[in-house]
Amino acid sequence: MSTLLSEKRTARERAYDRAGIGDIAARVRAGERLTREEGERLYATPDLFAVGALADEVRARRHGPVAYYNRNAHLNPTNVCVERCLFCGFARRSDDEPGAFTLTPEQVEERVAKFPHVSEVHVVGGLHPTKPLDYYLDVVRAVKRAKPGVIVKAYTAEEIDWFVRISGLSLDDVLRAMKDAGVTALPGGGAEIFAPHVRKKVCPDKISAERWFEIHAAAHALGLPSNVTMLFGHIESHADRVDHVIRVREAQDRSHGFQCFIPLPFNARETRLKKLTHGPTGADVLRTLAVSRLLLDNVDHLKAYWVMCGVSVAQVALGFGVDDLDGTLQEERIVHMAGASTPIGLTEDTLVQIIREAGREPVERDSFYRRVKP
Amino acid sequence: MIARPSAVLRLAVIADLNARPLWHALEGQPDVVLRKRKPASAAGLLEAEVVDLALVPVALAAERGWSRLAGLGIAARGRVGSVLVVGDRPIEEARVIYADDASRTSQLLLRVLLAEKGRDVKVVSLPEAEARARARSEEGAAALLIGDHALRARDAFLHRLDLAEEWHRHTGLPFVFGVWASLGAVTQSAAARLVEAVRAPYEPKDSPLSPEETRTYLSLLHHELDEQDERGLARFLELARSHGLLPRDASLPAAPIRRTGRGRRRDPDSILERASAGVRIDFEDAIALHEKAPLADLCTAAHARRLELNPGNQVTYIVDRNVNYTNVCVTRCDFCAFYRLPGHPEGYVLELEQLAKKVEETRALGGRQILIQGGVNPELKIDWFERMLRFLKERFPDVNVHGFSPEEITFLARISNLTVDETLDRLVAAGLGSLPGGGAEVLVDEVRDRIAPLKVTTDGWLSVMEKAQRRGLTTTATMMFGTGEKVEERIEHLLRVRALQDETRGFTSFIPWTFQAKNTSLTPHDSSPWAYLRLVALSRLVLDNVQHLQASWVTQGPGVAQAALHAGCDDMGSVMIEENVVSAAGADFRMTASELERQVRAAGFEPVRRDVHYRIVAPRRCARDVVA
Repeated sequence: MSTLLSEKRTARERAYDRAGIGDIAARVRAGERLTREEGERLYATPDLFAVGALADEVRARRHGPVAYYNRNAHLNPTNVCVERCLFCGFARRSDDEPGAFTLTPEQVEERVAKFPHVSEVHVVGGLHPTKPLDYYLDVVRAVKRAKPGVIVKAYTAEEIDWFVRISGLSLDDVLRAMKDAGVTALPGGGAEIFAPHVRKKVCPDKISAERWFEIHAAAHALGLPSNVTMLFGHIESHADRVDHVIRVREAQDRSHGFQCFIPLPFNARETRLKKLTHGPTGADVLRTLAVSRLLLDNVDHLKAYWVMCGVSVAQVALGFGVDDLDGTLQEERIVHMAGASTPIGLTEDTLVQIIREAGREPVERDSFYRRVKP
Repeated sequence: MIARPSAVLRLAVIADLNARPLWHALEGQPDVVLRKRKPASAAGLLEAEVVDLALVPVALAAERGWSRLAGLGIAARGRVGSVLVVGDRPIEEARVIYADDASRTSQLLLRVLLAEKGRDVKVVSLPEAEARARARSEEGAAALLIGDHALRARDAFLHRLDLAEEWHRHTGLPFVFGVWASLGAVTQSAAARLVEAVRAPYEPKDSPLSPEETRTYLSLLHHELDEQDERGLARFLELARSHGLLPRDASLPAAPIRRTGRGRRRDPDSILERASAGVRIDFEDAIALHEKAPLADLCTAAHARRLELNPGNQVTYIVDRNVNYTNVCVTRCDFCAFYRLPGHPEGYVLELEQLAKKVEETRALGGRQILIQGGVNPELKIDWFERMLRFLKERFPDVNVHGFSPEEITFLARISNLTVDETLDRLVAAGLGSLPGGGAEVLVDEVRDRIAPLKVTTDGWLSVMEKAQRRGLTTTATMMFGTGEKVEERIEHLLRVRALQDETRGFTSFIPWTFQAKNTSLTPHDSSPWAYLRLVALSRLVLDNVQHLQASWVTQGPGVAQAALHAGCDDMGSVMIEENVVSAAGADFRMTASELERQVRAAGFEPVRRDVHYRIVAPRRCARDVVA
């Protein structure tokens, strides 16, 4: 009797079989690591919800019924930048250019003091041609003065590499200085796409994949956890996305400090890439999230960044392996200057409602995925 | 012994006093759903299997070939007082009897008695008020009144004849008026519940009579049937058949009693397995899926069904334009931000030349159809519509006019003094090509009463569609959900569409979409993208006889619409060159044909352009892209 019952295929298993991923599903359920080829197969599997379902199983095993959000704010010290990434609508060449801004630490403190209660301030910005390392550290100190209890998640690997170059300090010393100023976590930006043949086309000025990982490994060793992103839907291929995730997986095996993977759908409208691509559609976003969840078996969290996915797709993404919807945001600028048409912030009530309507338990978290007490 | 939770007992009942002893004790019970309806409406619910049993007149049940629950009914052993032929002259002298058109069984009883006595009297079916008025005013006329109306009118005429008494006089037998009808077997627990209900003492409330009269009246009726009652019923049916008043096989047999429910497993996995094997999903199955099946399982199962119904990789769409010939409307639905009341400065009616310009633009962009709908405008009668249609067909013979919801048609018929049939005939003759499925909202009167009390009823909507379909018109069906309707109500909507489709096969597609709240007075409930995808998938699984399912990019945006293409949808709807109604309530997504095609391709399908009949059409070259 029990053998008969265990042989009966569930609706889910029948779906995997129909979709042609029964073998992959069995391996995922057995906790086995998927290969590059399997990743590419998952991108090529026509049945979208079958792939999503498998990613959802992984999410449920790791996180149960919970979906995270946080109350956070973004702070961009400057949008003046020495680099010329094709996908960016944010940067300006100099402070004189229309739309350029550079905040003084005083202005930073003033602005942050006006933020509502948030658990995290996310600091990223341009690589200013003339500001020294101290400027960037003063920005962090200013944030901490304005809100002493807040967690500062600051500066991507790109900016940290710049700090090394302009200060002449070692990477470790720069990271220690950042820690001393109050930084306790790094954001995931600047990763873009790691595959060299694409990287050199869309962001030739940026640091290499190897350098990016070197910086994050050093941060992890110093007790600074970080995130990692992937900008997709421009000129890269599915194979490039698989490659990106596998590089992250290998790095994580070594340094164990990545908390969350955040695929970012590229939005072209105000950028110089708009003639080449429209950016990924909703279906592509969902698939990319799901496949990433399945490949990246050693990073705890997967985020659907609603600013770039759109709120509707972000909700659906909760069924595609996502356990984190990021946050209330308060004045997101970078993506909106590239042309995003999503709101610039969401209220906590809205985030909670979105999560509940998807049948999940909303949990407010801090930057380290600890539950925030109300 | 572990008690298995029993399924909810769903019943349709008549609200009349004579029926109440049968169901009063069930009101408010947590595991019983009572739908109070007029008999014809109750019949629709039973046919669609939205209810397990319906308390209906025996004539209706017999005509439909239904079974009945033996042992219970509405019966009288003689005079009853609520089936009366009334008139100001002696009834035997009447040459024509106007019969309340809600009184099937009583009408049949009248005809049987007349036939038995060899009396040549005309019987004409009319609405109750009119029947009564004519009996009063016409020479040689009487009226057959029933139920509470008969009770109220009893003393208003000089003469009356109690038909139950007449029957008893003629046959010596009781007369059974109503029964619990079922389509097939009845469970033992349901039968026991209904018997228990009738045995509970009944204290009448809201009676049209005084308390004493009420008690007297009810004492003439009984609701548990004995052998004599059964014989009386059998005799009645036999006589009706012998006089050609009922079909020869109309026998209203006793329903078999089965020990338990169908024995179906109600866990989502088993239900999905049944659905995959082509077994029809019933009401309880659908509820279980709605409440418990994970999104992924619903969508993958729905997608598998989609591939069975529409094999291959194509997703169809149409290029047309939504033209609203007027925004003046007196129906005033709570969920609508588009309408303007008569006299409002923003009210408009399109001139023929304005209309022509829109159609010209549509043609130039490759479209060969306009979807034409509008508010319900009391100034516009049938001649206006005929003129408009003829004008369009003459100028643009190759553009299909996909027009007018059942609401518009019902209203138009009324103000033009025509029947719906006549209205449809005239519209078609003037050039109407097909009917869009709008105005359905949720096909449950309890919901309609809340959000659109002036709109055509569920049965009204279905009736217009049925008439249109029997004329060979292509139609679609929609559902607008998210105004606070219950899960059961969404499921009921699907079952009603399915039941009509079983008869006529006239719906080409089903289009669910979510209520948009801006500029309306209602609050949205359970209408997020997640809820939308669940409902889309559920629709595909329940509507096993409707071929196409359309994704609503208008209300969901392209990303979620793409996901819907994997959740049961095989069609992307329309590249609407113009859309006013839903966008007035906030949905402001726009799409060009090439963008729609891009979205379809990026979702993994091949976009194919179609016409209203889902025939493939070749895209026409146009000077510029179709811009919405």
